[in-house]
Amino acid sequence: MTGRVRMAENGAQLLARIEGRRSLEDIDQNVFPVNGGPLQGDVIEFHGVEGSGKTEMLYHLLIRCILPTHSGGLEVEVVFVDTDYHFDMLRLVSILESRLTSSSPPQSEMEEVVRSSLCRLSVLHCSSSVQLLLTLHYLEGVVCSRPALCLLVIDSISAFFWIDHANGGDSLTRQEANLRKCTEILDRLRRDYGVVVFATTHAVMRNYSSSSGSSEPSGSAPSWKRNSDFDKQYLCRSWQKILTHRLLFSKSEQSSVSEEHKRIFSSACSTVRTKGVHRCVFHLTEAGVQFSAG
Amino acid sequence: MVLLRAGLCPGLSEDLIKALLEGAVRTVEDLVLSDPEHLAQKCSVSYKALVAVRRVLLAQHAAFPISGADLYDELLSSTSILSTGITSVDNLLDSGLYTGEITEVCGGPGTGKTQICFSVAVSVAHELKQNVTYIDTNGGICANRLLQMLQEKTMDSAEQMNALQRIGVFRAFDVFALLSCLQNLRANSLQMGTVGSGSVKVVIVDSVSAVLSHMLGGKQNEGMSLMMQVATELKTIAKDLNVAILVSNHVTRDGNNQLKAGLGQSWSHVPRTRILLQRGEQPGASSSLRTATILKSSRQPCYLMEEFNLSPQPQEESQTGFAGKRKLDTDS
Repeated sequence: MTGRVRMAENGAQLLARIEGRRSLEDIDQNVFPVNGGPLQGDVIEFHGVEGSGKTEMLYHLLIRCILPTHSGGLEVEVVFVDTDYHFDMLRLVSILESRLTSSSPPQSEMEEVVRSSLCRLSVLHCSSSVQLLLTLHYLEGVVCSRPALCLLVIDSISAFFWIDHANGGDSLTRQEANLRKCTEILDRLRRDYGVVVFATTHAVMRNYSSSSGSSEPSGSAPSWKRNSDFDKQYLCRSWQKILTHRLLFSKSEQSSVSEEHKRIFSSACSTVRTKGVHRCVFHLTEAGVQFSAG
Repeated sequence: MVLLRAGLCPGLSEDLIKALLEGAVRTVEDLVLSDPEHLAQKCSVSYKALVAVRRVLLAQHAAFPISGADLYDELLSSTSILSTGITSVDNLLDSGLYTGEITEVCGGPGTGKTQICFSVAVSVAHELKQNVTYIDTNGGICANRLLQMLQEKTMDSAEQMNALQRIGVFRAFDVFALLSCLQNLRANSLQMGTVGSGSVKVVIVDSVSAVLSHMLGGKQNEGMSLMMQVATELKTIAKDLNVAILVSNHVTRDGNNQLKAGLGQSWSHVPRTRILLQRGEQPGASSSLRTATILKSSRQPCYLMEEFNLSPQPQEESQTGFAGKRKLDTDS
């Protein structure tokens, strides 16, 4: 593999390989634990039920990436693969603008900053798992030639789960074939090019066995495995193997909504590198994710 | 899955395909996934040709990246907001249905789901003079009620007829009919291009649960798969044709006895905006009073609530027998 890459290398690719991509470790101290931020080549799963703030959190992190450094961003390029047809550009821009007004520039410059930030984002829509697979292969070339591209977002990786599941018939191998192939290429993208991957998964499987004692002692199970009843990992094993971080999202119950319609969301981050679970509490406003103290 | 065939892209000749077949490469997917160097040796074809073909095929079949700035400009010029014809529901939805999105109304039997669908159809066809596609899956459509709603807006019968002409009704009583209906809609609209008059602005499916709910449950993967296919089809129509989609759904209760939308977890991710309809709670209130609560939205805070009245002029109710309410709720 590496042999082939080198053969077809141009200047930009050489730079991308030698210089390495910018690390996203300091992307957000609220969400990720200290020393547990996403390094080059990390794969982070955002897992949660509908309306638990996954996409909002993605927008929050994405904006941090595309904003220029003088406005408090990281100024890196992002590719957003939208398989849910769910990407809301208007919402993204409104969060972006409110983030900018709080940080400084005059009105005239603001439009310019918004435009230049949006230029760092590319969006792709995929409507089937085969298309997703081909798109990821296509992206390999794109990643190769753009050293500033650091983050690949897939919202969501579980979108075609049921369709693949039924198309594969009775054989589990065939059911999971497409996702496994996608994982292989993702693995290559993260390993060879150091791209950080964020992917969301819908929590659609109820974890019936979680309360009734499993055979393993509770101490040995990774901490994220004991949580709510919707945290079952149902995607194929090879996907679970490349994960380095897992963010579990949950929302407060309807009854505990405070008077000003402020709904509390929380995320629990567990990583392979740090011990324990890093929790953070946030609520959603017009201006996107707002972290609450404590 | 796309089979390799001659003419699919320049450089892909019959001979090359025959040679590739010996290496068990039949589809575009196989070719892209295989290592060209290895394949060139195995099938004794030109490495250079193979790499060129692979690159073209990838460009053809992969999704095309759009720059965020371009996407934003495009959205600003193409997004429109369609009024539902009911002021308080418009307030709830931040002034109406957005094109390119799926909006869901859910509620128990007789809470006015179909009435909202009618109201949207009438308002778009009459006020905005745009075409409406109404896919009826439970026999709930009632032309009398549509006419009655139009009569409330205008007395000119020619205008009424024009508006009714713009509402295209399709009946689909099973999921396959629904899928083929949606596929035809997409194919036809793409063929016509963006020629103004023929294009549809809103697609209404009343109700999705009528054709989907009975296939779910148990260990049936087939049903889930079909449901997600309907969802994908709706989402691509919304994005590609830039239309607003309104679907209606039934409700169930969760463990805490709270109302929630039907069709389960997987479907719950599909609509962008969801409103829940309920009957007015006060005992003395008029029977046509309903409340709408927002359950999911990226623009409005959740659990915002508004009241609205299904029949603005109650005195007409006795005359016409309130035809719309007679509809059967098959989804209860």
